[in-house]
Amino acid sequence: MPQTVPAVTAHLALSHVRFAHARATGGSKAEGEARQILDDADLEVRRGDFVLLTGPSGAGKSTLLRLFCRLEEPQEGQVLLNGQPVSTLPPAGLRRRVSYLQQTPTVSAGSVRQNLLLPFTFKAAANEPKPSDAELAALLGSLAAGDIPLDQEASTLSVGQRQRLCLARALLTRPEALLLDEPTSALDPDSASAVLTAAESFCLDSGGTVLLVSHADFTPTRVSPVHYRLEGGRLAWMRA
Amino acid sequence: MDAGVISIAPWRLLLALVFTLLAGGCSLALKLGLGRDILIGTVRTFAQLFLMGWVLGFVFAVDSPWLVLALFLVMAAAAAHTARGRVKESAVSFAWPMYGSMAAVYLLITVTVTGGIVHAEPWWKPQYFLPIGGMVLGNSMNSVAVALDRLFSDLRARASVVEMQLCLGADAAEASADMTRAAVRAGMIPSINSMMAVGLVSIPGMMTGQILGGSDPTQAIRYQIVVMLMLVGATALGSTVLTLLIRRRCFGPGDRPLLR
Repeated sequence: MPQTVPAVTAHLALSHVRFAHARATGGSKAEGEARQILDDADLEVRRGDFVLLTGPSGAGKSTLLRLFCRLEEPQEGQVLLNGQPVSTLPPAGLRRRVSYLQQTPTVSAGSVRQNLLLPFTFKAAANEPKPSDAELAALLGSLAAGDIPLDQEASTLSVGQRQRLCLARALLTRPEALLLDEPTSALDPDSASAVLTAAESFCLDSGGTVLLVSHADFTPTRVSPVHYRLEGGRLAWMRA
Repeated sequence: MDAGVISIAPWRLLLALVFTLLAGGCSLALKLGLGRDILIGTVRTFAQLFLMGWVLGFVFAVDSPWLVLALFLVMAAAAAHTARGRVKESAVSFAWPMYGSMAAVYLLITVTVTGGIVHAEPWWKPQYFLPIGGMVLGNSMNSVAVALDRLFSDLRARASVVEMQLCLGADAAEASADMTRAAVRAGMIPSINSMMAVGLVSIPGMMTGQILGGSDPTQAIRYQIVVMLMLVGATALGSTVLTLLIRRRCFGPGDRPLLR
């Protein structure tokens, strides 16, 4: 059942969004074909919702998440945060409010501590106090990653540890919403469970909104997700 | 200054073709397939340099600042065009900022050298302004091409790092700071390295010209020192200004990365 006009109270919303990947210039013929990803798509997510987004590979699930943090721009329609078009918000501030976690966890050069404190080195965080080592360790502990020393080089971590580090780093920016792009696709079961538990806690304990893209079957244990399926450029609400 | 110059008679100039015949002979003997290139290169060398000599002679005779500036701008456009051709990137449009800033930056450097250091009277005196401007443009063209090529390739290769930092609240400048630094460094390093080797390996071009022209070598080195320092400044300023200007164009509205 597709949604229509978003209510002003929706936390995250799409209104009549059309998106096609730009036609490549000078690329191969295959790349040159513009592909319609979202076709008059509507979505309404209330604050505190845990949204599960599924759909076939290439349907545009990642694109949909990336629209909310302006890593993609729609050709038509509006992307809204608390009723405000995201295009009217300062981009750095928007991306700290709506935190997007990349599918492949990316760490920067340096230690685990330097990675966790990275968001505090930017101008957008000029007035925010840096968390202490104890706070960082406690946060890692809550993600079942308390055994990772803060001095360890981040590049030496396993994929599962990196994903938990990236999630911890995203949580440190105190976002209102987490956009998780297949966060467990490359993880071992323990790491996957830690990441999903943290996402559920973010929703239940902090009142945050979660948009989780997954093409595997995933059943949250503590929250009742709102399930949408993206196919053919449109979103369909799936009954529980 | 040309009191000591030995004039090369036309038939002696043709004698220099012995060298290209030698090169052509090597190509034939070893089946290198370079004969055509050697022939075209030789013809172009003659044609382009005769044309340049004629143009310079004309500009020197007219002695007008506007003509000197116009010729400098044509040279700057040719340098920018060459540098642009060496950078393979189609997702970011950078032609106009490149033409504009190369002309502005290198004009500033050349005027500083002719007017401020060499103290030519007037500062646009074509015998000084055009050769010095040409050296600035020729060297900086390479550094700009190297810097931009590095910037674009790094932004593509490390797109996930740029995106990760944007997602944590960085702006475009912060998210691409490492790649920008690497690009400017890559543009500056050759001119710094050439300061290390100058005078050890060969007698540099400008000094050679002055010595052949009969100048006192101790006077010629002064010019060469000015040239070396000028080139370090020109490549630094050129790489920095161009990289910063064009870095901005690698991001769309909302600091959305265009290279990935």
